[in-house]
Amino acid sequence: MKRNAIAIGAALAASLLTGQAAAGEYNIVVERVEIDAGDFRRTGVGFNGSSPGPVLRFTEGEEVTLNVTNKLDEDTSIHWHGLILPYQQDGVPTISFDGIKPGETFTYTFPIIQTGTYWYHSHSNLQEPEGAFGATVITPKDGERMHADRDYVLVLNDAHPHTSHRILRNLKMMPDYYNRRQRTFGDFMDDVRELGLEATLSDRGDWGEMRMMPTDIEDLQGFTAQINGKSPEQNWTALFKAGEKVRLRFVNASAMTYFDIRIPGLKMTVVQADGNEVEPVDIDEFRLGVAETYDVIVEPDESKPYTIFAESMGRTAFARATLAPEDGMKAAVPEMRKSPLLTMADMGMAHGDHGGHGGHGAMKHGDAAEKPMDHAAMGHGAQGGEKPMDHAAMGHGAQGGEKPMDHAAMGHGAQGGEKPMDHAAMGHGAHGGEKPMDHAAMGHGGHGGMTHGAADENGGPDPLYAPGSGLAPKAANGGKFLSYADLRAADPLYKHRPATREIELRLTGNMERYMWSINGVKYRDAEPIRLKYGERVRFKFVNETMMTHPMHLHGMWTIIDVGAGQWNPIKHVVSVAPGTTVYTETEVDAPGQWAFHCHLAYHAASGMFRKIVVEGGPETAKSDRS
Amino acid sequence: MQKIFVAAATAALTASLAFSGALAGAGEKGHGHGHGGHGHSTNAAVGAPGDAAQARRTMRITMTENRYSPKSITVMKGETVRFIVTNKGEFVHEFNIGTAEMHKAHRGEMMAMMESGALTPDRIDHSKMGGMKHDDPNSVLLEPGQKGEVVWKFGASGEIQFACNVPGHYEDGMHGRVKVR
Repeated sequence: MKRNAIAIGAALAASLLTGQAAAGEYNIVVERVEIDAGDFRRTGVGFNGSSPGPVLRFTEGEEVTLNVTNKLDEDTSIHWHGLILPYQQDGVPTISFDGIKPGETFTYTFPIIQTGTYWYHSHSNLQEPEGAFGATVITPKDGERMHADRDYVLVLNDAHPHTSHRILRNLKMMPDYYNRRQRTFGDFMDDVRELGLEATLSDRGDWGEMRMMPTDIEDLQGFTAQINGKSPEQNWTALFKAGEKVRLRFVNASAMTYFDIRIPGLKMTVVQADGNEVEPVDIDEFRLGVAETYDVIVEPDESKPYTIFAESMGRTAFARATLAPEDGMKAAVPEMRKSPLLTMADMGMAHGDHGGHGGHGAMKHGDAAEKPMDHAAMGHGAQGGEKPMDHAAMGHGAQGGEKPMDHAAMGHGAQGGEKPMDHAAMGHGAHGGEKPMDHAAMGHGGHGGMTHGAADENGGPDPLYAPGSGLAPKAANGGKFLSYADLRAADPLYKHRPATREIELRLTGNMERYMWSINGVKYRDAEPIRLKYGERVRFKFVNETMMTHPMHLHGMWTIIDVGAGQWNPIKHVVSVAPGTTVYTETEVDAPGQWAFHCHLAYHAASGMFRKIVVEGGPETAKSDRS
Repeated sequence: MQKIFVAAATAALTASLAFSGALAGAGEKGHGHGHGGHGHSTNAAVGAPGDAAQARRTMRITMTENRYSPKSITVMKGETVRFIVTNKGEFVHEFNIGTAEMHKAHRGEMMAMMESGALTPDRIDHSKMGGMKHDDPNSVLLEPGQKGEVVWKFGASGEIQFACNVPGHYEDGMHGRVKVR
């Protein structure tokens, strides 16, 4: 940390003297560090003596030089997560470079051409779950767009007493090794009492066939959830004065854990997602997927402590920090909510009452009974079963009621036929009103369903979860829970245009053998995905597993189709919930070869990973590789 | 703390009055548009008053001393945006959409308002506005704690500004960028 600060100071002084654009030089040492999780201590991997490593603070336009020295006895690497840079600087061994040998120093150099909150981590040998991660904050050259009086970074992670290699071995041997919530014979008897023997057996049979269990929300349990390296007991604290605007930059550096985050007593205004500015959204709670970042601004107007409470999605642990007027002050820490159970909907197996549509069933009509939709006008007639409609992201449930929806203008009736409908071009800024449609999960060919939900401002069903999903989040206070569907890019990076082609990526796995894959093929056996420079690819993610996968594409942006066209949010991770289909688009503007994978560390390590090769593009960006 | 702040801000304001007075004088000779209570001859590139029913997006803008949050926005050419503007500061502030040149001209008017007593650092006295009513559709002038609305249909691609032309505020950095794509 100290070394780093000195390096920054020196570089700043240099640039002041010469009057040139900022050029920062940073020294990072990858080494064994002590991890004190409160309830256990162990050695792990960190940067410059600590885990998390120092917050790297860059300025937009800066030319950075990062000297990374490996003091481990094995190869290492650093990947600058979310940063747009030449692929040789991306830090993925075997794809962008050869890695960094023990004792060696590798110098990364690249220009900083973006702003926002990101992070960095080792991309070698399961070092990241061992603690090799830290946050990156890039300040716009003309200052932050949203004003805040204070600015804090909160890095969340799931520190485990077992080493990452031991965890992977255990999972491979017995995938439910860390699942401490298996249902017991007592649960079985309870279900028989409530559901009857036949329904219970049928339900158990379905789960058995899927080789999964309804408690499989987190395949890693028994960790200590930390914020900035502090356990709930150690209580990391950020100071504020009443009336100040406080910016909190949340980074989820966990190996495997999603967090549901709230600050009881405070509304949060989301201003950034994965480093990109979004139109501010007021929320009560949000889900921070693995590898995602969200910036929120809070305005505590009372001089009292507030608890930042982050429950794991499976409710097996929580992280806690405090916003306080003075050090040492604490607020009440809520009880964790009950652990959710996955439902058949999360398996894409909900045996709905509209099984005829699309031939694959799984359409549910949630709470919409009161206001039936006009299916005829939606052109459902044209759905032949084999060619599902593409309603990718029409479920903008969460938009305010200010903007009434104009169905007529959407031309639903007029389309259909053999080709999938393109709703992306439909201008969905206008969705909303009281009864938004949720088509997020339609036409999956068997995975998911369609809800005509009664989403309202205070958190109707999130269109990015399967209808009836046990995982669909709800705010603890009954208020607003953030959905991707609420996010609107404040400053779109690309002109909106139709995608030039679609690539289907089925997220697949065999839980029994802890094998994770894409389209049924694991990394080792897979051909790279080939993209052409200049195209705009539409990825169709079909999650056929019961786990949520945070999919991360290196080097190029992931524009999530939430039906907002030009204003679709721009991210580097898209979280795909079980039993759903999500569409993203990518402008292929970065030559070279890149990694693309599930960011759950043990899923990536077990095969849910691909190399992406971008063919063509400017000659200057190419090199000896590929 | 509060008091010190107010005192400092007032001093800054007084100092800048003299400064922008000179500016306003120069402006009158140069281009006369927008002066004299005829509203602003907004050029087509900047856009035109919008119809709220056409606005697909609502943007919230917060004003304090002397800044906007957000400080930059991106819109599409021809897009109608509804702005809900809140003055969370302790002084009068304006949210005004235009080119840098238009803002410069408008600063002359605002200076005149200040001189006539229609505008004090933290109050707007509409009775003293006379022929200079501050009611142009491209702007809203708000007292501390007030909330207002502007619906604007943006014109051609380019870069314009939203700005506060209360004497001294623009010079202190109270202007934001509008990227029109």
